[in-house]
Amino acid sequence: MLQSPTPHEVGSPKKTPLFQSSTQYKNWRFSEEQLMATRTTLNEAAVAAIRNTFESDSPGSSSDIQFLDAHEEHLLVKLYITKISQLCGHFRFPEEVEATGITYLKRFYLKNTVMDWHPKNVMLTALFLATKTTNHPISLESYTSNIPRTNPSDVLDLEFLVAQSLAFEFAVWHAHRAFWGIWLDEISQAPPHEQLQAIYDTALQHIRTSRLTDVELIYPPSQIALACLSLSHPEIAASWARSKHADTALEAIESIKRTITRDGDIPSVDVVREIDRRLKICKNPEKVVGSKAYLLKKAKEEKEAELKRVRKAESTRKAAEQDDPFGEELAGRANLDDDD
Amino acid sequence: MDAVEKANAERQKRWVKDQKVGEGTYAVVYRGRELATGRKIAIKKIKVGQFKDGLDMSAVREVKYLRELHHPNVIELLDVFSSKTNLNLVLEFLDTDLEMIIKDRSLVFLPADIKNWMAMTFRGLEFCHRNSILHRDLKPNNLLIASDGQLKIADFGLARDVADPGYKMTCQVITRWYRPPELLFGCRYYSTVVDIWSVGCIFAELMLRTPYLPGESDMDQLKTIFRALGTPTEEEWPGHTKLPDYVSVGQFPKTPLRDLFTAASADTLNLLSRCITYEPRKRISAKEALHHPYFFALPYPTHPSKLPKTAAQTASSRPLDEVDGNVDNTDGSGTSGVKNAPPKKLKRKLSGHDISRNIARRIDFTAS
Ligand SMILES: Nc1ncnc2c1ncn2[C@@H]1O[C@H](COP(=O)(O)OP(=O)(O)OP(=O)(O)O)[C@@H](O)[C@H]1O
Ligand SMILES: [Mg+2]
Repeated sequence: MLQSPTPHEVGSPKKTPLFQSSTQYKNWRFSEEQLMATRTTLNEAAVAAIRNTFESDSPGSSSDIQFLDAHEEHLLVKLYITKISQLCGHFRFPEEVEATGITYLKRFYLKNTVMDWHPKNVMLTALFLATKTTNHPISLESYTSNIPRTNPSDVLDLEFLVAQSLAFEFAVWHAHRAFWGIWLDEISQAPPHEQLQAIYDTALQHIRTSRLTDVELIYPPSQIALACLSLSHPEIAASWARSKHADTALEAIESIKRTITRDGDIPSVDVVREIDRRLKICKNPEKVVGSKAYLLKKAKEEKEAELKRVRKAESTRKAAEQDDPFGEELAGRANLDDDD
Repeated sequence: MDAVEKANAERQKRWVKDQKVGEGTYAVVYRGRELATGRKIAIKKIKVGQFKDGLDMSAVREVKYLRELHHPNVIELLDVFSSKTNLNLVLEFLDTDLEMIIKDRSLVFLPADIKNWMAMTFRGLEFCHRNSILHRDLKPNNLLIASDGQLKIADFGLARDVADPGYKMTCQVITRWYRPPELLFGCRYYSTVVDIWSVGCIFAELMLRTPYLPGESDMDQLKTIFRALGTPTEEEWPGHTKLPDYVSVGQFPKTPLRDLFTAASADTLNLLSRCITYEPRKRISAKEALHHPYFFALPYPTHPSKLPKTAAQTASSRPLDEVDGNVDNTDGSGTSGVKNAPPKKLKRKLSGHDISRNIARRIDFTAS
């Protein structure tokens, strides 16, 4: 699975593609504080909404429920990042698929909470979507039949929600790619080094570790790549940066290195198991198929849809009477009529 | 409602869908407008429910690439939203495509017109290639034309990233008449220059006004190419006989391009030959093409607004209410009883405009 660069590419450096105009650069980079605030806000809103649902079902029922806090939600998501890697190993998916699936999972939980959507399912859908967006599609049948206790509908039911949460922005710029670029550059310039392979492997290992952290939501992939090279071999990283007149980058990467070292651990299974146990109680009942709250919500939606149908029939009739094919009424009708 | 669903509903409200304007393999296309501004748009509705593997690959590719690419010569994806089981792509509205223009016998092309269409195609393609994206389905009907004459590369349903070295790609891409010989020979490692071959075929088609290399089957496609350009020699294309699906389809002599393209300038023929060079590594890149003398020699490219237009385009550049009164080519889905007849005055005015342009063009053409 380790795709080492071939010499073929060395002679023809690609022109730097335009990261600055990418959706990742524009819409998926945050400060640490912003990430914290986003997660806290999402969590608080979810707790309030779920509490409300419980209360309207039976007053007082939410008082002894221990809801998850933002940090606990985050730990659970982090554990499922490691599950994506396991699955990718099992399927022998390329690095690109794994990295993309992980990015999707993280981005999803900047828009949603685990109390609404359990990462166990979202993880499967995020990875399945990543196989498609990275052009390594696999049939849903062979995907789910290789995962225990999983049906095609478990994956498909969430696909739209995941795609929407990603704002349909599927392209991801990864640190491992940036790293390959630096490496090709470096080995074409540096004198042969005995431990080259080991340095390469260690750096790539750091990149994989970095996927457990938030760095990809904060820093550009090139800086993460350089930080990981620096964790593996500081001198090579420094000499590369100098040769590119990017000495300032060396300062920036120090905080990336600290974050990777600090947050790159796999969460303790015991801690996460306890979180998951509590989640069973505090998850949003409106999302539990068949529950009373779920049925109530469905009924409400059905009523709204019925109302919409009536309105539509009404305006179609009016439009026909007025004999005005391009008047406002018809435009209104066309707007409602989005599914025929 | 979830925040995500709410955001989707908000986005959906920005756009109004009017009538159906076309249908592709996996989508229905509607004309519509932006509610706030009245700006004309197209909504491409992809039915997702019908695919057993969920979101279909063409839709995924189209959305992935168009979300990233912003360039005057690449179609602009303005928004994406979902409605029940459909995916809706909001695209800038484009009046016509290069195929319709080529087929419109009432139009005459000047060399300067062709030069600008080529320049716009290469600019859009250079941008895709610079972003490491292969289009893999260039043909006149995927080059759409806006009302101001700008050409836009569209239909990214077969596009992909340039592969890592040593990674195999499928050779079943690009519509046959525009497919380069290396793909016909089953080459699985290829690069951006597969698109350049297609552009070469389009270039020739603009001059000939008929497809340049219309093979009837994949095998016949090779024969058609070799009949036009001569069977490649080992010297001219080293290693091609070792390609996976190599077959010998007979020896054809080389005939100079000049024999077919009698009126073309030397620069024109040079650029054309650099696009349809057999050896992929010697084929010109989009970037090099933009620096080719062809683009700097006289005549200078026609201004986009002055390029030949089909009747539909001429009509659509008029104010909206006039056009609406003149629309009689809707999908006929039962509402036709309430349509107004096109005003006669407007029709005459339109055709009169076309004729005068055509005469002027003809005179220009013979004189040059
Ligand atoms: N942006 C647009 N503006 C105006 N009309 C459009 C636009 N995009 C598509 N159309 C119209 O809708 C039709 C269908 O387009 P679509 O791209 O889905 O399929 P296609 O290119 O015709 O066929 P295929 O799917 O086989 O490539 C087009 O032929 C065209 O008439
Ligand atoms: Mg098409």
